[in-house]
Amino acid sequence: MKEPVIRGAGLAGALAYAAAIGWLYVAQPQNPAQVTGGLAAIVGAYHVDAQAFADGLQFFRKDQFVEARAAFSRADPAERDATTQFYIAYAFYREGWGRVYNDDTLFTAGLAAVDKAIALAPNGRVVVPDPDLQMHSADELRAELQRGVTRDASDLNPLKVFRTRK
Amino acid sequence: MTALREAVVIPLLFLTSILMAATDVGPRVTVGPPSLFSLVLATLLVGTLVRCGAVAPARLLHTDRAMLANANGFVVVATLFASAAQVMSMLTPQTGLPMLFVSVFLFVLLLNTWVAMPDAVRLLRSLAVTLGSALVFKFVILDGLAAPATSRTARVLAALFDVATLGTVSQPPRPAIAGYMAFLTVVLFLAGVSLLPRPRSGGSALMPR
Repeated sequence: MKEPVIRGAGLAGALAYAAAIGWLYVAQPQNPAQVTGGLAAIVGAYHVDAQAFADGLQFFRKDQFVEARAAFSRADPAERDATTQFYIAYAFYREGWGRVYNDDTLFTAGLAAVDKAIALAPNGRVVVPDPDLQMHSADELRAELQRGVTRDASDLNPLKVFRTRK
Repeated sequence: MTALREAVVIPLLFLTSILMAATDVGPRVTVGPPSLFSLVLATLLVGTLVRCGAVAPARLLHTDRAMLANANGFVVVATLFASAAQVMSMLTPQTGLPMLFVSVFLFVLLLNTWVAMPDAVRLLRSLAVTLGSALVFKFVILDGLAAPATSRTARVLAALFDVATLGTVSQPPRPAIAGYMAFLTVVLFLAGVSLLPRPRSGGSALMPR
């Protein structure tokens, strides 16, 4: 093989390898699915599993939130889709919501998921026009989750029991 | 040095060692950048390699070389520095007195080597011993202390040791694979360093020949 070809191929390979390492520094993937999904997303080859997403929506609408999250996670194993992450966060919200008190653990997990959705969306704007939802944007959902984990005097207001789940 | 070695083999060795050194296989797998102090150590190490003739920068970057060859040379130099920084960061314990001890240990040894100016072969031997010692200290001795105790007596001794040292020595426990990965990383780094072009006889490290 000619020397310029080796040098050119070596340079391109080294730059691609270095870029992949740089991406790992930034993205911090936690499992092989996130690594492959993230790299596929860079070249535009990543797609959400439509069937698993539909299963997730079905569970979500029947208030089976654990099952819904499992299906949504299967639909988006690399956690690269903002809409799926939004639904996962919403499932945490609805499961954690309580008339007297909220489940802090679920709300905190919901906050992490909605933050992921916001980070993934172009310009950080996530809007889901689903008529079944009462909060259509990630900003509303994030604010609601944040309110849920914040301790203040309004927690002692007895009229809180009349509020409704969104 | 052949084009294959300069353009493919050495960058591959260094980039792989960067990736492996950056990967922390704790309870969560994270990929972390090198610490600030490890950048200082890497600068010292690369300077020592040049000073002792273990690498000749002029054989990697020079006006006599073609642009593509210089680009390959730049990749080698950049990955050497990044790999050195990442390996130093990997070998330094994360917290407490051991972090201070190993940082000072590596700094003094590299400074001593810089001043002593051994030839390239002796430098590589010295580097292997230095990196090997740091690896044994962090991944064998400290991990042995941090490993979950199996018996009640061992747990009591570990608790007493922690109290006696005010918790400044014990490190977070690490899975066994971390040590194997660190060993392979150091081997890849040393292999890469040993393949670097050296000054031709009669030339200095900063002259092409």
